[in-house]
Amino acid sequence: MLKRLLHVTPSGAAGLAFAAFAFLVIPALAGKLWLSVFISTGCFVLAIAGVAFMYARLGMVSLTQVGLMGVGGWVMLRLNHAAGFPFEVNLVIAALVTMVCGWILALPAMRMRGLYLALVTLMAAGGLEIIFATYQFPNGGEGFWGVKTGSADAFRRPWLAQTPEAYLRYVVAFVTLGFLFIEAHRRLWPGRAWALIRRSEAAAMAAGVNVTFYKMWAFGIAGVLAGAAGGLLAGSLGLLDDATFRASESVMLFALAVVGGARYWLGAVIAATLYRILPALLNNWGVDADLAFVIFGAGLLHAVITAPNGIAGQIMDLAAGLRARFGKGGKP
Amino acid sequence: MNHRTALAALTAFAGMTLAGAAFAADPVCGAATGEAATGEPIIVGGIYGNAAPGDWTSSTDAAAAYFKCVNANGGIHGRPIDYRVENDQWNPENAAQAAAKLVSDTDSVAMVGNGSFIEMAVNAGTYKDEGIMVMASACAISECFESSNIVSTNQGPLPSNLGAAMYAREELGATNIACIGLNIPNNGIWSCQAVIDYMEANGGTGSMALLNPGAPDVNSALLEAVSSGADTILINQPAGLALAILKAAEEQDLRDAFNWIAPTPLYDLSVPDQLGEYWYGHVYVNAELAPLQVNGPDAQNWVAVMEAYGNADDPRDTFGQAGYLSARFFVDAMLGMDPADVGDRAKVADAIRGIKGMTSDLMCGPYYVGDADFHMPNHAGYMVKIVEGGFEIVRECYEYDSAYFEPMLAIEKELGLN
Repeated sequence: MLKRLLHVTPSGAAGLAFAAFAFLVIPALAGKLWLSVFISTGCFVLAIAGVAFMYARLGMVSLTQVGLMGVGGWVMLRLNHAAGFPFEVNLVIAALVTMVCGWILALPAMRMRGLYLALVTLMAAGGLEIIFATYQFPNGGEGFWGVKTGSADAFRRPWLAQTPEAYLRYVVAFVTLGFLFIEAHRRLWPGRAWALIRRSEAAAMAAGVNVTFYKMWAFGIAGVLAGAAGGLLAGSLGLLDDATFRASESVMLFALAVVGGARYWLGAVIAATLYRILPALLNNWGVDADLAFVIFGAGLLHAVITAPNGIAGQIMDLAAGLRARFGKGGKP
Repeated sequence: MNHRTALAALTAFAGMTLAGAAFAADPVCGAATGEAATGEPIIVGGIYGNAAPGDWTSSTDAAAAYFKCVNANGGIHGRPIDYRVENDQWNPENAAQAAAKLVSDTDSVAMVGNGSFIEMAVNAGTYKDEGIMVMASACAISECFESSNIVSTNQGPLPSNLGAAMYAREELGATNIACIGLNIPNNGIWSCQAVIDYMEANGGTGSMALLNPGAPDVNSALLEAVSSGADTILINQPAGLALAILKAAEEQDLRDAFNWIAPTPLYDLSVPDQLGEYWYGHVYVNAELAPLQVNGPDAQNWVAVMEAYGNADDPRDTFGQAGYLSARFFVDAMLGMDPADVGDRAKVADAIRGIKGMTSDLMCGPYYVGDADFHMPNHAGYMVKIVEGGFEIVRECYEYDSAYFEPMLAIEKELGLN
């Protein structure tokens, strides 16, 4: 089992190489603007990994992932201002609290599938949007909500990552851990249970799989990743705004996960690139960033019509084709 | 107002506009050499917010117009200003990215004309860490006034609200004010709470009704304010939302049931026409800077600069005046520096901190910066009433009465400014 767990596939090797590149090279080369963009992108890669994993492994459509990021960010800010715990402790607590929230949201949705599940999660995202807009994010105030009138207190970044360069490395490390966390689950018994559930819930139940339990498990993993992503985003800015966590953003995130390719690590990276880097690029060129929505729409059409595995699926197919050609055929 | 008075006001306003237009041929900027600057550009940044629910471009528009004028008139010791602006789109991530681009990745010497609801909260630490001074113009949040490296020519919602509330209490007999603010802790809640505190300190009372800026339901907020038992409603909103609230009140014919007051965002020349006759004479607005009628030399120069170097659709409002003033004070400080130092951020920051006692007929008091963890040089203003065709001044320059200003007054005393 250990051998199976530690086996490195070509896709996995490429992912680890990309993570190493993002960890070592990008922070050394990028200016402050792009460091800021890449940090934000890294946070959303983690969140997208969660929603894409649920869709790819269980066929479950969750439209509340950005809302759950908001929960993680809220807990992170609240703990930062209320307690003197290290950043990492706050991050773990934020991820776990978000996981529990994910479970609570998932409980009534467990008996639903397809469109109905998507609608329930969308309504949950709408509810979270209203809570964030009404109560705002903690800024150093007293009481449960932690909101005070006037200027926000300072946020404590991790001592390992005081500079933007170091913080990007920090985020890349957590994103890599997030992908490894998902992959480990996929290779162990939960992955087998999810594969069976995806093929047929009836067959899974007949085989003795506790369908509700494993679905909840998947929701919990997506919640952990969303919570960590929200906590990291809070750490990068020092404050959060409800506009970041609107329900429409969750829908957009899911759509981009499909465009990018929900089955692959590269799909999450492509989706986050479209979500955060493309608008920043358009802004930097002086072009209205709303043009990105047109590009998102075209990408979605492309994915639905010609690329069911998303852009990443096409790239992986191309890479496999090249490998087959040059690997088996010898020298080109 | 009877027809004769209205006609007189209209004629006076038209006369002043014509006077401004006549002056437009000859704006005075910077060194006023009449020759274009050709040296190495000095980079200056500016961040504005333009997305729902508000467009805050007028301050950077006005600063850009003034810098164009300066560049056409000798620049800063012969060097033109390269003014670069970014839109934060009311989004914290974009705000951080804008500052990273303009401050961290660029050798900018200062930020001028900033106007936003978001960026100062996100970037105040960055400005301090990078050692850059921000001469903002359309500040709306507490961080803008409670940070070491930001100083603004506008007052922000807290003083402007207090000015409106003070007038309403003293002149309109207000005893209970309902403040309709945005549900943002460092904006609407901060500035509405100051009004409640002010009223309670003066034997009255107050309350707040908050709007979600992402999905503002103006009817609900208005009904909440109406049901609070208030005799006065303070519309503490950007102009667009304030107009929507007044339209909703008009539909319910609430005009005569309350006093209607507002801070400076409603002082915009397009507002009276948009509101219509129903509201003429019934809405009182605090103006943080001099209304157009005052028409002093600097006010005329602002109009002239905008006519000659601005775009026709750049707003002519308080924030435009504030953008012009920030740019003018910045240029005056730069012109007073050793020419060898004007490209050095640290020395420019020192020069800005050294600003003391600059004056303009657009402001009621002197402008200064100083070396402190808070800055609010502008805390006195005018009160105007919306009338047909414009605004009528109902109270000339007056200082606002609140304990909030005690630290500022102490610094002014130390600097010998009051």
